Amino acid sequence: MTHLDADRALVAAARRDPARFDALYRKYVAQVYSYAYYELGDHHEAEDVTERTFLQALVALPRFEERARPADGEGASTFRVWLFRIARNVVANSRRSKRRRPQSVLDEAAVVADPLDIEAGVTRRAEVEAAWAAIDRLPGDRRRALVLRFVEEMSTAEIAGVLGRSEGAVRVLIHRALRAVARELGSGR
Amino acid sequence: MTAFGRDSLEVDALRTDRYLEALLAQRDARTAAANAAATGTASTPSGPVDLDPSLRSTIASLDRALVRVHPSFRFEERVARRLAEVADAMRVSEAAGAEGTRVPVPVALPFDPALDPADPALAGPGPVLPGVSRPLLIGALSLAGAAIVAWRFGRPVDPMTRAVRAAHQLAASQRRAGGRPHPVRPHAVRPH
Repeated sequence: MTHLDADRALVAAARRDPARFDALYRKYVAQVYSYAYYELGDHHEAEDVTERTFLQALVALPRFEERARPADGEGASTFRVWLFRIARNVVANSRRSKRRRPQSVLDEAAVVADPLDIEAGVTRRAEVEAAWAAIDRLPGDRRRALVLRFVEEMSTAEIAGVLGRSEGAVRVLIHRALRAVARELGSGR
Repeated sequence: MTAFGRDSLEVDALRTDRYLEALLAQRDARTAAANAAATGTASTPSGPVDLDPSLRSTIASLDRALVRVHPSFRFEERVARRLAEVADAMRVSEAAGAEGTRVPVPVALPFDPALDPADPALAGPGPVLPGVSRPLLIGALSLAGAAIVAWRFGRPVDPMTRAVRAAHQLAASQRRAGGRPHPVRPHAVRPH
């Protein structure tokens, strides 16, 4: 049984009429922006990466090939994998001259806390700071895999497609990343 | 690492992955519950929990710490407009091309549209993969605009349009000569 890419209809519509690409853009703009923000730690850089990613995806859409497989799971979208691979390339090129500033991500996360509960807010901020300091020390793909898993809620199959690794390798990558973070958080307590 | 060690690691990794699957699958329900309950309590997925306690605690911490961030509405709409402009340029290019063939976006593109921007070879320390910049957009629109203008002026116009154009040209030449443009009388316009 063929497993369909969840975005097949949207991609087909955009191929017939490039103006219909807007639907794909609206669906994924927050995800791509979030990924770029975690990678670069800067709003302006994340906006630039997001814009460049979608412009490239629009122009190159005729070259996209759907490769959804049953192992990708329900709701898997190879368009999303393709889009994030573009984003990854754009981030890599952007990072050449930029310095990652994870503190801005901490500020963003702290805003999510309940502003009326000061004690919880302080606790949360400390927890977020510790978690992010640990994540920041991870090697590139380990950090990337955690962000894609937790923030973008991608499956290991999708993450494998984005990172260019096997699913088994991605599971080991995530497991090792979690153990490394656990060691850091445990030693800090 | 020995084969046994590698297998053990893969088994542990698979166990962790299943735990994460369960955690993420329950996120929506937990989000709703967290809105009504006190925050700060570590949440764990239901079902078999045979994961190392330190890993469970770490996963719970990351589940709280790693939140999605959203761009501003203004940014989102600005990029949407830009995408629409590029999409229009692509449609004009396609219309101007041969029947049934898709003409790629004009060669003003800073990168080769024959390349796949998702190709990992385009990342890394090599030459920067330039994004689509405003000059491209202007180039695309200029080409599209030129095509539209050429199409318009290539069409036969009605007598009234020719009369209006002639009147404007007459007024412009009079201004260049330094005088005030004289009112255009109908008979000054050469009838078709």
